[in-house]
Amino acid sequence: MLRYVVSGEGGLEEYPGAVLGPVPSLAAAIPAALWHECEARDRFGVVFENLPESRPLVEVRPAEELRRADSPEVSTILYGPVRSGIVESARWIVETAGEDFISVYPSMFFKRRELERRFTGVPLDLAAHVAEHASGATASSHAAAFSKAAEAALRLEVPERARATRAVLVEFERIHQHLDALAKLADDGSLSVGSSQTFAAKERVHRLLAEATGNRFARGVITVGGTRFDVMARLADVCATQLDRLEAEVLAVLDALFSTQSLLDRLIGTGKLARELVIAYGAVGPVARGSGVSSDARLHDGYLYTPMGGEESLESHGDAVSRALVRRAEIVRSFRSIRNALDGAFAGEYLAPARLEDGCGIARVESPQGELLYFVRFDGGIARVALRSASYANWPLFVPSLPGNIFTDFSFIEHSFGLSQAEVDR
Amino acid sequence: MSNWIVYGLRRGILTTRYPQRSGTMPAGYRGAVAALNAPLEEQRAGVAACLSGALQEGSPAARVDALRCYQCGECARRAPTAFAISPAFEVARLRQRAAPFGRSVHVRHVDAGSDGSEEQELQAIFNPFYDANRLGIFLTATPRHADILIVTGVVTHPMVEPLRRAYDAMPHPKSVIALGTSACSGGISSDSPDVAGPVDAIVPVDVYIPGTPPTPLSILHGLAVALGRAVPAGEAMP
Repeated sequence: MLRYVVSGEGGLEEYPGAVLGPVPSLAAAIPAALWHECEARDRFGVVFENLPESRPLVEVRPAEELRRADSPEVSTILYGPVRSGIVESARWIVETAGEDFISVYPSMFFKRRELERRFTGVPLDLAAHVAEHASGATASSHAAAFSKAAEAALRLEVPERARATRAVLVEFERIHQHLDALAKLADDGSLSVGSSQTFAAKERVHRLLAEATGNRFARGVITVGGTRFDVMARLADVCATQLDRLEAEVLAVLDALFSTQSLLDRLIGTGKLARELVIAYGAVGPVARGSGVSSDARLHDGYLYTPMGGEESLESHGDAVSRALVRRAEIVRSFRSIRNALDGAFAGEYLAPARLEDGCGIARVESPQGELLYFVRFDGGIARVALRSASYANWPLFVPSLPGNIFTDFSFIEHSFGLSQAEVDR
Repeated sequence: MSNWIVYGLRRGILTTRYPQRSGTMPAGYRGAVAALNAPLEEQRAGVAACLSGALQEGSPAARVDALRCYQCGECARRAPTAFAISPAFEVARLRQRAAPFGRSVHVRHVDAGSDGSEEQELQAIFNPFYDANRLGIFLTATPRHADILIVTGVVTHPMVEPLRRAYDAMPHPKSVIALGTSACSGGISSDSPDVAGPVDAIVPVDVYIPGTPPTPLSILHGLAVALGRAVPAGEAMP
């Protein structure tokens, strides 16, 4: 159902069936719409009626303007944008009267580069490089989702060999990003050897990718129509000698992590998300699956994936340990998917020639953080690209996961979400 | 119950000896672009395919601005007679000379607008394969204790002030490293209205480590350059 059309110059545009005046907000009834409406308000000046959040989302504002509590006992703590450790920039405005969270407000978009506009006018065969800049750590997912959207618009059939290659790369990406999240959780739990060894397992994935694709994050491989060069042969060679060893190392570190009771104790019951809340906010990926909500784009959308098991990794408790368990199960399954895609030994072309025509396409890919959506419109070339990242869908749930937790749970909950800032701010 | 000590011992020593001994990247790794002697018409397809404007036609060979290069490999693929890409990873450039640090330094990181991968590679230099601690390099949570500031990403407008404040809060002598191609030159985001510029438009930069993202070995090399323990790539920058 079409409600309104945002104009390129800001405000609303006339369109059959669309309103021009104030738009009745959906967010009160459907929390999943909240950030989208806030962003449309902040970036395009769209006026919403009864939008439940009056504070700006996209604009960076001084903390005193964002404070909610009146009581002088409540102090406001600014956490970020520069935080301790090696972390992406974001700010949390925390109101507290001791150990408990009274109110938390995410102030993000410090890193906004207007990347979606950067696509405009870029030649089709180079544009997937731009998508990789949206989130370098999950470059394959972004390049694949962008390419898939463009292919849908151009009605382009992608060769099987290229689809299998994409599947392998996205699954390797899932493995290294899940290991990254688990290593950070182990570090939060002061498990320094466990954390180091998990990072070491992650390093092995990057080394394999560097050898097979020329980049440790497999950047510069996926493009509209297939892959830029024939990576499959190289991947198969490297995996033939290294995949068994890599899998054994990764599974060993997972076994050790999940039998360390001191870490699990810290995760059990932390950052609990009720199933209903997850559904209302439209969360995706391990955040949704940890609360028992099915959301795996791979189940419904076989495009990227050559035959792979239909089962989904679900947990029911909705806490940090559930999300960690989902990651473990997914890593195990990713190895199986990689083997399936490699065993298929798909011959033939790796790239189908693309011809520009006008039209729109939308596509999704299950990135490590969850469902990633891309929209592409062609009008004599690339006219508009929009993306909805999994992190963008999941961040709004971070605040509702905090009540009942204390300050020192913050980083556990954050890393159990395992989100990226770059793909939110973009 | 896990026994992490046994687990670690079983894996033995994973750590590279770099920079005391030489390090290598795999043969197919896209590290640095070199321009080959070639007529202008052979250079053209490669230069035109560069999204970040790192290449310029020239005689006898094209000019490559390594600080703008994203290592995508398009130039070498489209104009193989004019460009070659090698697995070189010692790509850090030095402005003037290294600051006078002793044997151990503390490093503070600020993300000014990265794509998220530079942080992960910076984190990686502390994993057992690289173990930057053995080189006397430690991470610190406060700029007050920091000798070196590592900045990732192009600098967006909202990050200008936090970056400046982090820099100002550091004691002298101090050194700044721009980590990643976007941080070094602004790269593909140079013309974005939301971007203030590359890191050196905001704070003085001493060492530039280009890369997409720079590999952990490149980062170790850049740190060694900042400490005067390694030779930078190319001549000192003006």
